[in-house]
Amino acid sequence: MNETAQDQDTGFHTEDMTISVGPQHPSTHGVLRFVVKTDGEVISEAIPDVGYLHRSIEKIGEKVTWHGYVPYTDRADYLAAMFANQVFCMAAEKLAGTPVTRRGEFCRVIACELNRLASHLISVGTFGQDIGAMTPFVHALRERETINNLMEEICGARLTYNYIRIGGVGYDILPETCTRISEFLDHFEPIVDEFNRLLTGNKIFIERLAGIAVVSKEDALQYNLVGPNLRGAGIKWDIRRDIPYSVYPELEFEIPVGTGHIGALGDSFDRYWVRIRELQESCKIVRQCLKMLPKGPAISKVARKFKPAAGECYVRVEAPRGDMGFYVISDGSEYPYRVRIRTGSYTAMSIIDKLSKGIMLADLIVLIGSLDVDAPEIDR
Amino acid sequence: MGVASYIKDITDTVKSVFEGMSITFSHLVRRPMTIQYPDKIPVPIQETLPLRYRGILEVDLDICTGCLACERVCPITCITIGIDMNKETKQRDFSHFDIDICKCMYCGLCSEVCPTGSIRHSQEFEGASYNPAGLVRHFAPQPASLYKPKKGGETDPKLAVKVDIGQKYLDEFATPDGGAAAEEK
Repeated sequence: MNETAQDQDTGFHTEDMTISVGPQHPSTHGVLRFVVKTDGEVISEAIPDVGYLHRSIEKIGEKVTWHGYVPYTDRADYLAAMFANQVFCMAAEKLAGTPVTRRGEFCRVIACELNRLASHLISVGTFGQDIGAMTPFVHALRERETINNLMEEICGARLTYNYIRIGGVGYDILPETCTRISEFLDHFEPIVDEFNRLLTGNKIFIERLAGIAVVSKEDALQYNLVGPNLRGAGIKWDIRRDIPYSVYPELEFEIPVGTGHIGALGDSFDRYWVRIRELQESCKIVRQCLKMLPKGPAISKVARKFKPAAGECYVRVEAPRGDMGFYVISDGSEYPYRVRIRTGSYTAMSIIDKLSKGIMLADLIVLIGSLDVDAPEIDR
Repeated sequence: MGVASYIKDITDTVKSVFEGMSITFSHLVRRPMTIQYPDKIPVPIQETLPLRYRGILEVDLDICTGCLACERVCPITCITIGIDMNKETKQRDFSHFDIDICKCMYCGLCSEVCPTGSIRHSQEFEGASYNPAGLVRHFAPQPASLYKPKKGGETDPKLAVKVDIGQKYLDEFATPDGGAAAEEK
């Protein structure tokens, strides 16, 4: 519809509305802004406006030492700080040729998978809350609180861990903590089923999600979607399996993909359902790691003045929001020459404009929630 | 859409709502998770925190050797240490040892590099202050002398206690050997 058009039948003056959703909108999960053009309630255009949470983490990397940059990588995605820690350390290790101890690798995987649980719980919990289901949000956050307590025990912090260091992990996971983790898993696995009864099986929830914002396989590849968003579209691609790192090749786990059993393949429900099933897979991985946890040092000997050889590398891991990659250049000095971070949320933002055409304004919230975009990860 | 599917949708919705409600009501008999901070708690939160908890930094200046390792490793330079030569005693003294809690991001790098365990994270986290200046901790209000580690263990009983506390902190804070050393003992 043209702006300032006259309705031919009635002669009333009609025009498109331009609405600014955000930056302080509760359902955009952080400071995100969308400039939405609507015809009544139907969206004709939704342009994401990013940059409200830019903290120049990449530039800081050029000013601090290799060891000193690890706590900064926590801030790239505060819901899944462990993965940014890991990928930066992997990049530094690759440049310097530092070996990682075997116990260190297992500690990393345990910490990362617990972090994935916490991140996915936030994701599915707030997704329900955005749509209007308040109770599941509280249930999800209650479980996440226990994970935070475990993290506090493992590394001393609840959110910005600074746990994974170059050459291994900062602190070893003690036997008492191992028992507490497995106790938590025993308690948590039935909770996932309860959560499914509470939210996933709810007819109102299904009706809001099924068939909304369908991403086809071609679109998912062309818009470079990663992680659960890509798997929700039915493409079986997981860095943990396809470009294996750490000890993942030794572990048995499945890669859940969208099936389209409710609605269409690649709709919002599929992306949500992939996350729920990843919760169960992560529990499995942590259990296996606790069983296989070998004895030995958790960190190998690394020089205090860490100076990797000049060179560059790109390392990627499977973070909760998909493929997270660090491109690091070293000039052989005490400081990284350049750090570039590539995150999954940023690419997910690019498809929002395409998917939002023709859907209702209330469904835009479903779309943002189902893509699980995270403002700090977009802007860095 | 036929009448049959319309009615089925309604019954499904009502069923799933009641299923959710049954879970919600089951929480009436479960243990509550809420902690009535800061009033109705049996023990202070600080005492329930794990050993590795990274709270506000504290410094035991009596066992600080003045090696400046913490100042150098800090990524945001929130630690500033000044060391002067005392003209009377011909010894090096701390002129100031300040930690800006505003800047500190509790990464724990400083307490790991400390050779004596003098700088360490406490379990304290309540750091409210009326102005930013109140958040700068001055650990050397008067000039204080540097600690010199003695060969063969500390002889002064007062200092020996502090050295042991520092060493114990270092051992328990970071045990990256996977408990292998403990098993050998």
